[in-house]
Amino acid sequence: MVVAALGRADADTAEVRDRLNPLKLASIGLPLLYSAAFFVAPLGFLILLGFWRVEDYQVVPALSLENYLDIAANMFAQSTYALAIAQSLWVALTTAFFAVLVCYPLVLAIVYVAPANRQRLFLVLAVAPFWSSYVLRLFSWQILLAKKGIINSALIWIGLDGLQVELIYTQTATRIGLIHYLAPILIVVLYVTVANIDRSLIQAARDLGCTQGQAFRRVILPMSRTGIVVAASFAAIVSFGDVLSGALLGGGAGTSILGSVPLFSNMIMTEYASSTNLPRTSALAMILVLLMVAILAAGAALAERGKIEAG
Amino acid sequence: MARKDRSDAPSTPRVVAATRQQASRRGFLGGAAATGVVAWSNLTIFSRTADAAGKMRVLCWPGYEEKPVVEEFEQKNNCKVEFKTYIGGEQMLQFYAQSPKGTFDAIISDAEYVQKLTAQKAIDPLDPKDYPNLADYHPKYRDFAPLRAPGGKIWAVGTRFSFYGLSYNTKYMSEEEAKTWSSLFLPKYKGKVALFDWYLPNMSNASLAVSPNNQTPYDIPDAQLAKVKEWLFKLRPQVSVFSEQNQGLVNALINEDAWVTPTGDMEITLIGAGHKNFASTVPDEGSIRWTEAAALCADSRNKELALKWIEYMSGARVQSELVYTKGFKARAPNMKVTKYWNEEQTKLMSYVPDPKNPGKMLVETLIDKSVPRGLPVQQPDKAWIAIYNEFKTSKG
Repeated sequence: MVVAALGRADADTAEVRDRLNPLKLASIGLPLLYSAAFFVAPLGFLILLGFWRVEDYQVVPALSLENYLDIAANMFAQSTYALAIAQSLWVALTTAFFAVLVCYPLVLAIVYVAPANRQRLFLVLAVAPFWSSYVLRLFSWQILLAKKGIINSALIWIGLDGLQVELIYTQTATRIGLIHYLAPILIVVLYVTVANIDRSLIQAARDLGCTQGQAFRRVILPMSRTGIVVAASFAAIVSFGDVLSGALLGGGAGTSILGSVPLFSNMIMTEYASSTNLPRTSALAMILVLLMVAILAAGAALAERGKIEAG
Repeated sequence: MARKDRSDAPSTPRVVAATRQQASRRGFLGGAAATGVVAWSNLTIFSRTADAAGKMRVLCWPGYEEKPVVEEFEQKNNCKVEFKTYIGGEQMLQFYAQSPKGTFDAIISDAEYVQKLTAQKAIDPLDPKDYPNLADYHPKYRDFAPLRAPGGKIWAVGTRFSFYGLSYNTKYMSEEEAKTWSSLFLPKYKGKVALFDWYLPNMSNASLAVSPNNQTPYDIPDAQLAKVKEWLFKLRPQVSVFSEQNQGLVNALINEDAWVTPTGDMEITLIGAGHKNFASTVPDEGSIRWTEAAALCADSRNKELALKWIEYMSGARVQSELVYTKGFKARAPNMKVTKYWNEEQTKLMSYVPDPKNPGKMLVETLIDKSVPRGLPVQQPDKAWIAIYNEFKTSKG
C-alpha cells in the first residue's frame, strides 16, 4: 500500500513537472500571448471605443449607447445599413462559392494530373500572384474590364462588336478582384487537404469497381470537405471585410441582383472619411466583426460535421 | 475640397482622456486606454524633441511638403519645416485638438474650418499689412469673408483653391449642356456620372442646383434640404461610380465608363496627360469652391518662423508650384502666378482672358460663379450624411 502510495506520489510529481515543462509552457503561452496581443486586445479596444463619444473633436471615454442606438435607428431607414449588409453578405458568400469552384479543380489537377515531380512547381505558379500588390492587381483589372478596356477592345478586334461586356462597376467585378486576391491562399489550403488524402482509399474504390467520377464523389470530395469549408469560410470572411475591390472595381456602389448598393465595408470607410467619428465607426465595425464571427462559426460547424461524416 | 481627391495619408486616432473623470474603475480603465492611445499616437506623428530654433511644424493637406514648394523657404531661412499631413478638415481638427500644446506652429486649414479653429482659440489673428503679396491676390481673396477677424485683421492667408464644377468628356457632353446641372438627368447620362464620394460637395452642389446661386447653400432649412434629397435621388440612376480617390474618377473618365463628374479640376490632369477631349466648367446655377489658407498657431513655439512661412506661402512663385504638384492641381489666389508658368500651363489653369467676359480671366469668371464651401448650419452633419447614405443605397 505504501509502495502504491509512493508510486502515485511519483506519478503526481512527474505530472506536475510535465505541466511545468518550460518548453510546453512556452508552446502554449506564446500562441496565447500572440492571440491576446493581436486579437483580444484590439478587439476589446474596438468594443470599448464603440461606447465612447466625440466632444470638441476629441474622443472621450464614456459608456454611451448613443452610437449603437443611432446605428439601429438607421438600420432600415435613412442610411439603410441593412441593405449594405445584405449586399456585403451576398457578395461575400457568392465570392466564396466561386473562389472554391475555381480553386478546387485547379488543386485536383495539381495533385492528381500533374506529374509528381512537377507538383510543387505548379503549386508555386498557382500562388505566384500572391507576391504582387493587391492594389496593382485591382488597377490591372480596371484596365481589363473597362468599357474601352482590353477585353472589349479584343472582342472588337476579332469582329465581335456586338459582344461587349459591361462588368466594371458591378459586384461581379468586385468578385473578380476578390477571387484573384483569394485564389493563392485558397489553393494552398485546398492543396494541403487534397494532397493528404490517402491514395490507397482511392485505389481501393477503383479496385471495387468505382469509376473515376464515383471515386471522386465517394472518396475525394467527402475527404476534401473540411478543406473546402475552411477555404470557403476564409474567402467569405475576407470578402466581407474587404474595401478595395468594392471601391476600385465595384465603383463604390456596384450593381448586383440586390441593386446598386455599396458594400457595408465601403459604407463604413465613407462614413469615417466624412465625419472622422472613430467611436461611431468602431460601433459600425463591431457589426462587421460579429457577422464575420457568425460566418466563422458556421464554417467551423460545417467543417466539424464534415470531419465526423468523413470518419 | 475638405477631402480633396488625393492619395490617402494614414489617419491616426488620438485620444485625450477626459479630465473630469472620477477616480472610478471605469474612469481609470478609460483613462489608461486613452493615455495608451496618446502615447502610441505620439510616435506616429514625430518626435516632440524637434523644438530647436530653425525648425517648425506644419499641419497641412498633402502638397505643401513637396520639395519645389518648401525648398526655397528652408534654404532662405536655414531651417527645417516638418509636416504632418491630413485628409479632411475633421481629421485636421482631431490632430490639432489631440496634440499637446505647441506641437504645431502653423496650420493649413480649409477656409470653413477656420471658424472651428478660432472657436478653440487655436490660431492667432494676422495683420493683413504684414502680407504685401495680398495686393496681388484676386479681389475676392484679398478680403475673403470666411477668413475675416475682428479689428480689420485676418485669421489666415489663402494659399490655393479650386472648384467642384462639371468635368466632362467633350465627345459626349456639349459646352451648352455643361451650363446646367439639370443636364445630368438626360437619358444619355444614365450610368455615366462619376461622383467624388463625399456628402459635402455633392449635397451642396445639389443645393445650388435646386436654389441657383444661393450664396449659402449649406445654410438651408429642412424643407430646402428635402428638395436637395429629392434632386439627389433623381440623380441616382445616372451614377455609375463613387470614388474616394482622384485616380478612380480619372480612370473612369479615360476609359469612358463615365462621361461627366461634378468634381471639377479633372480636365487639368487629363489634358496634361494628353487626353485633349476633356473640359470643365462651373454651371450657371453655381458650384462649390474650396479654399485652403495658412494660419498661425496660438501656441506656436516659433512664431517668428511660422509668420515668415505664412508670408512665404502667399508669394506667387511658391503658389505657382503649390497648385501644380504632380498628384494634384488647383488654382492660386495670387494672380501673379502666371509669371512662373509657360503659355500651356497658363491656359490649362484658366488664367487666360474669358472671351465671354471682356476684361476678366476665365478663372475670375469661375470664381464669380462659385460659392465658398461651408458646413451644414441648420442641421447636424450626421443628418446630411444619413441622406447621402440613403441616396447611395437608393434606386432613385
